[in-house]
Amino acid sequence: MPTALRIDPRDARPIWRQIEEGVQHLVARGALPAGTLVPSVRDLARDLQINPATVSKAYQRLTDAGVLAVRRGEGTFVAETPPPASDSRRNGRLREEAVRYASLAATLGASREEALSTFEAAWQSLTDGNGRAEGDDE
Amino acid sequence: MNPIVLEGLTVRYGDRVALDSVSLTVAEGAVYALLGRNGAGKSSLVRCLLGEQKPDAGRVSLLGKDVWRERAALLREVGVVPEEPDMPPAMTLRQIARFCSRLYPSWDGAGVEARLKRFGVPADTPFGRLSKGQKAQVSMALALAGSPRLLVLDDPTLGLDAVARKAVFEELIGELADRGTTVFITSHDLAGVERIADRVAVLRQGKLVLDEEMETLKHRFRRLSFPVALTPGEREPRLEALAPVAVAARGWGIEAVVANYDEDRLEGPGKGGPEVSALTLEEIFIALTGESEEGR
Repeated sequence: MPTALRIDPRDARPIWRQIEEGVQHLVARGALPAGTLVPSVRDLARDLQINPATVSKAYQRLTDAGVLAVRRGEGTFVAETPPPASDSRRNGRLREEAVRYASLAATLGASREEALSTFEAAWQSLTDGNGRAEGDDE
Repeated sequence: MNPIVLEGLTVRYGDRVALDSVSLTVAEGAVYALLGRNGAGKSSLVRCLLGEQKPDAGRVSLLGKDVWRERAALLREVGVVPEEPDMPPAMTLRQIARFCSRLYPSWDGAGVEARLKRFGVPADTPFGRLSKGQKAQVSMALALAGSPRLLVLDDPTLGLDAVARKAVFEELIGELADRGTTVFITSHDLAGVERIADRVAVLRQGKLVLDEEMETLKHRFRRLSFPVALTPGEREPRLEALAPVAVAARGWGIEAVVANYDEDRLEGPGKGGPEVSALTLEEIFIALTGESEEGR
């Protein structure tokens, strides 16, 4: 998992939110299957060079949301049936990223059709590769 | 109890005011970063904080006590990593550690050995033979060995290469994970601080111009790029409500850093919508302190 989680200081979201949504994303697309042991707070904090309290906060929220589950003495795992990301946040994120992509495409002088077909191709490559590039290289 | 409370701290050197009535509080378990350009007053503040210098006015409470009156007792519970670690050059690290161990009631000698091993610094090396990075690492190992309630780090990674810097930060992260120690850190490494600190303060010409949670700080600052040309003296009406701290004319329009970003206030009539981007801590720092040279 550590290789797939990145913290971006230019992201407007707080770091704990970036971790929270990053883990949700990895779980949602199957890169982190149910039952996977996630790194300890200490290990992830060292790996990302961030305050352990920040990782704790993200893990706590993910546990409360049922995405992660703590097994006492064993560690923190991806829950057996993780819930999908909440609708409002999910929709907000989708829209935000779509606007970003659309404005980039327009800036580069791409037509609507070209932008849509590029997106189609990107989607296709994602489902073909099933996220192997980022998630499964442990 | 708040581990650090500064009240109206004032330091003058002749006519020059190095610290101008600075008050701040560091809460238990916080990682508090003090930033400022060279000459802003950071070093004077740290010296007063550790009882090495008596302020001209104001009070320093360290772990609930007056640092000026109870310095020796207090420093047993405070780990300090100074800007330039200075120890007898001929003494080996093992000798230095043994010397320090007698000054602290709870000294973790095994911890020192383990950390030196992790850093790859042999314990029988004389201090004077160490590189700058190794000195910082040794200083970190010694500061943590006293099981401090408070860690004061004065620009611990200044002049270190990326590897040594990472090693110092990893020890800090480990300490935070294990003991939740309160940390007061000054640093020029804003990218590092951004990831570690939960509260940030900025000193500018001896005055505290910012003291805020990292999260709210990052939340309210944005860079806005308006693709409009303004005639001299004309103002972009949508900017004013967002508290612009720096506005610059570019060939393609105007670029501004605002301190109170609010998406809703950007709606309404205007000459084309701005592009909005989040800022790194370093960019916020430059916007707050960079526009004029500081008096030295």
